[in-house]
Amino acid sequence: MSIENAPSDDAGLNQREGVVYFDGQSSRRRRVSLRFADQLEIGEDGVAPVQWDYSDIREADSPPGVLRVTCLSAPPLARLEIRDPQLAAELKSRCPRLAENQVDGRAIAKIVGWSLAAVVSIVTLVMFGVPLAADRLAPIVPQSFERRLGDAAEVQIKTIFGDKTCNDATGQKAFDKLLRSLRQAAGLDTAVEPEVLSTSVPNALALPGGKVILFSGLLAKANNPDEIAGVLAHELGHLKHRDNMRNLIHDSGTSFLAGLLFGDVTGAGALVFASRTLVTSSYSREVEQSADTFSMDVMQKLGRSPKPMGELLFRITGKQGDSELSILASHPLTEDRLKRMSQADRPPTDPPLLTPDEWTALKAICRSKS
Amino acid sequence: MRWEPPSPPPVPSLVTFSGDRGAYFRLVAKGAGLELVTAGFYRFWLTTDVRRHLWSNTTIDGDAAEYTGRGKELLIGFLFALAILMPIYLAYFLVTIEAERLRAFASIPLLLAFYAFGQFAIYRARRYRLTRTVWRGVRFWMDGSGWAYAWRAVLWGLLTVLTLGFALPWREAALERYKMSHSYYGDLQGSFEGRGWEFFKRVWWLWLLTPFALYVVIALPFLYAAFKAAEWRWWLSGIRFGEVRVESTMTRGALIGLYWKVIGWVALLMVLLFAYLGLSAVVAASMKGMHLNYFFVSRAFVRSVPFLVLAGIGYLAFILATNVVIRIYLVRDIWVKVLSTVRIRGIEATANVTAKGELASALGEGFADGLDVAGF
Repeated sequence: MSIENAPSDDAGLNQREGVVYFDGQSSRRRRVSLRFADQLEIGEDGVAPVQWDYSDIREADSPPGVLRVTCLSAPPLARLEIRDPQLAAELKSRCPRLAENQVDGRAIAKIVGWSLAAVVSIVTLVMFGVPLAADRLAPIVPQSFERRLGDAAEVQIKTIFGDKTCNDATGQKAFDKLLRSLRQAAGLDTAVEPEVLSTSVPNALALPGGKVILFSGLLAKANNPDEIAGVLAHELGHLKHRDNMRNLIHDSGTSFLAGLLFGDVTGAGALVFASRTLVTSSYSREVEQSADTFSMDVMQKLGRSPKPMGELLFRITGKQGDSELSILASHPLTEDRLKRMSQADRPPTDPPLLTPDEWTALKAICRSKS
Repeated sequence: MRWEPPSPPPVPSLVTFSGDRGAYFRLVAKGAGLELVTAGFYRFWLTTDVRRHLWSNTTIDGDAAEYTGRGKELLIGFLFALAILMPIYLAYFLVTIEAERLRAFASIPLLLAFYAFGQFAIYRARRYRLTRTVWRGVRFWMDGSGWAYAWRAVLWGLLTVLTLGFALPWREAALERYKMSHSYYGDLQGSFEGRGWEFFKRVWWLWLLTPFALYVVIALPFLYAAFKAAEWRWWLSGIRFGEVRVESTMTRGALIGLYWKVIGWVALLMVLLFAYLGLSAVVAASMKGMHLNYFFVSRAFVRSVPFLVLAGIGYLAFILATNVVIRIYLVRDIWVKVLSTVRIRGIEATANVTAKGELASALGEGFADGLDVAGF
């Protein structure tokens, strides 16, 4: 059986035309007639008909009221457009694989399935892969590279906090003595460059490459050498564990992986940021905890109590549990740190790390200049 | 040959849009849900579906366009872009360290390199979209160099910043000239006839008003809508493909309603979000047996897990709904509005265009996604 549609014989721009064919080589609108034989025959006046295999015909996107089809064996952009509903229905009934190009329920299920697999793999990587990579990679980063990193960080710190190094001679001597005993007890063989920076901010930092910076604000708040010694031992712990590199690798890995999720969904940035912060701060708390452990070991080796460090921290921050969301904090809560250090408290067995005179000199290290 | 008297050229609309708004709403609502389920990976297919809907319902001179890009291409482009961006980020990091050693924050100008890369991505993404645009069995395509474009964009961008925005019209004209003169429909070459000066004449008063509008915030959407309308009109009216000339009749106020609708919807969604958060707080406080006031005063709410979970769910629903609103008003409705103002002269020139041009990869779209940039 073959049905043929009569090509309309009137010309004009926007009027209804039954069938239009574009051959994919030129934009010429060809008014054609269709013949449903063994293959679909697309006939144009004066030209040999184009033949399309029914099983090769696929539906392409079209506005309502138009059936637009393409053919796998034809030029990729060849299009046949049918505006006559009866003719469209007739063609549809003959093409078994017409809708194969469309994204149907099964295709969507596949996308969802693969996406979930990707999410699971990203989460697994963040939870296990990235910390492992940080632990394994940090020790093999060359010292020289770490130094460069430390230099860059130091330039920034001095821009923010001011470039006022304290170097009163007797104070410096006391500071060196304190660090020497700590380094010996810590078994730290890498170079350490200690420095006291004059600023009211109570803090201490270990920079990659071995620079330890003590802010004079912390000295001002300290009541005895053990308090400062504990903090310095904590920073030496960071150096020994190469925590700067570990944090760097961990944070950049986590940021990169978290950034893969939710890409361009407007407003999802906050979510990605929140989940990334959760992960990195949990890792950071672990790192701080192990630096605390290190500091406690060193203090006990020196026959001194680790408790004063906890007391100094508590004096500075106060009780944090009421105001801080503990899962977002980069350090363990101060009261918990104090509790841990108090549990390890015992009467000192060795003499103080600094004599009272030396301690006074250290406290006054920033006096001579400025 | 017979001489025909010159008649005033009729300017028929020629462009119509036949898409059903309800169908589009279902498309983007379902897409938002799937984006949630797939942690955003569905975006490649949603973007594609939106384009397919808009393109195939846009009829020019009786024939509808077609978008032949596919979500999978965008996904692959994104993955390739990631593979290329990773070493670039690493190199950026190393160069940053060296710069910071010399001087604190000396690395900030390096961000300029990323801006240039973003412009490159914009050019290449446009190329991908254009080569997936088919009309009458012939595709659009582009040549030219993404880097040549990026450097023009950076230099013009610097000039615009230095002149506090004064040079913006000339920047847009120059960049559009580059893009359009490298765009083709088959063997018909495009060009851009819009001049910076004409654009300037349309928007200079907005430039003067902007400092005041920054104080009177409510004026900002009006100014922005007027600017966008002027930009659309100027841009469309400059587009040429061979003898084909595009014109637009868009009025200054044409887009104001749309922007206010978006603001209204987002405000409404925010009200709903806060009402929901309040309700969650009541539920969470009562679970703890706490008085609601105390729940807030003691800041216990930031540590209440049920409240945080409920708040997270509420926020997710809020951003999904916001995305639907944006895709309806700022994508579809603007598209329809813009099309309704378009007039085309000389469409006869497209009657017999020879197909030409190669498909471009979706790498540019991937970069644009990875760098979070967007543009035409």
